[in-house]
Amino acid sequence: MNKLNMALVVAVLAIAIYFSTISPGSMQSMQSDLMSLLSPFLRTGSAVQENLGSVGRRLQTLDELEVENKKLSVENRELRAENNLLNELEAENNRLRMALDFRERSSFNLMPARIISRDSSTWWNTIRINRGFEDGVEADMPVVTDLGVVGKTTTVSKNEAIVILITDETCRIAARIDGTREQGIITGLRVQEKASEGLLQMNFLAKSAKISPDQKVLTAGVAHGSFPPGLVIGQIKEFRLRALDGQAIVEPAVHLASVEDVFVLIGKK
Amino acid sequence: MNKALIDLTALFAGVVLAFIIQDALPAMSDFHEAHVLLVPMVFCYAALVLPFAAMLVAAFYTGFLSDLMYLHVVGGRVEIPLGSSIVFFVILGSIASGFQPAMKSRNVWPFVALSGAGTSAYLLLQFLFITFQRGGLLWEPTVSWRILAPGLMAALIAPLFYWTLSQMDRLIPDGSRKMRPINR
Repeated sequence: MNKLNMALVVAVLAIAIYFSTISPGSMQSMQSDLMSLLSPFLRTGSAVQENLGSVGRRLQTLDELEVENKKLSVENRELRAENNLLNELEAENNRLRMALDFRERSSFNLMPARIISRDSSTWWNTIRINRGFEDGVEADMPVVTDLGVVGKTTTVSKNEAIVILITDETCRIAARIDGTREQGIITGLRVQEKASEGLLQMNFLAKSAKISPDQKVLTAGVAHGSFPPGLVIGQIKEFRLRALDGQAIVEPAVHLASVEDVFVLIGKK
Repeated sequence: MNKALIDLTALFAGVVLAFIIQDALPAMSDFHEAHVLLVPMVFCYAALVLPFAAMLVAAFYTGFLSDLMYLHVVGGRVEIPLGSSIVFFVILGSIASGFQPAMKSRNVWPFVALSGAGTSAYLLLQFLFITFQRGGLLWEPTVSWRILAPGLMAALIAPLFYWTLSQMDRLIPDGSRKMRPINR
């Protein structure tokens, strides 16, 4: 290697080391700019993938579709009846909530978003949604569905945001077990066979805690946390004792592998 | 136009295209949800045909984009710092440069081997960074699969990639491409 090449290697490595000292915020800002730049191309790629995947699903026979249609018609009538009943309950619930001054705590602006890509990296469980800072989305905002918590936003670009799923080990949420005073920290597992539909672990529970399977796990809503209290995370599958604490294995309420539409909780109404 | 400049421009476009394709490809469910990675393979090809100085530019560009694409910041903490991939691609490119005579004599094996080993090494490096940041080494069969399967896939795709580029080379009448001999 001649002297010029050696100098070039040193220069490139020096720049690389300089980059590693940049603040996380600046790194996210650069990532956001890159996402905005590549967004149209990445979306096209994801759309092609989705279309290819849906070809198999469309190959249902007409008979199957007819049976499904009848079944859905019946289900539709049932849901309408149920919906009417729920509307009344909702109205009553809202009135009571206002009366109890809980409105601030439980009323949020929900920004609907669509998942445009999922699981594009090997080690992190993330998805990308089609909402960015132009829609009012910011970093560390909760992402939910009607069934429960999906994750929280990390890097936000103009029209897109990366959402870290609750099944990722770095997504930590303060949680409590419904009907008890038990609180702990929910995280994903580092490596899972199928991360998008994987399990969660709830650590730092009391060893003497009376916890049984199927109990609901809700967000605790600690001060300065991203998540408000009372959002459903999942339900207990197993409780085991460790040397210093108890650990619960939790099944997420949302089936993360199949969810397509989510809501970003962008603030209170 | 200078040959190295043409190759470098092609690499700039090729790396972005590789990112788009690998982002759109679903995980391989039969291989423990491992992903197909194309970027290290594209870089290896560039490192095998570019002069050393141009290879460094390619390593910088590929590493910088890779770090930004896989940047994971949660709670103000970065898992893999920006710049680490640049160092990796400089090392990989330096090794690949040593195999340029083999590439010039139409020997595709160094390219196949470097693509496979480079892809797996890149994933191993990412895993080690994560382990260092989070603590506690967890080595399960799934981890081995997620590191080795993409390398294997890259090694399988590499000959096809080489053949495709060779065919594209033939379409260019420009005399500057004569430096790369091709069997006709």
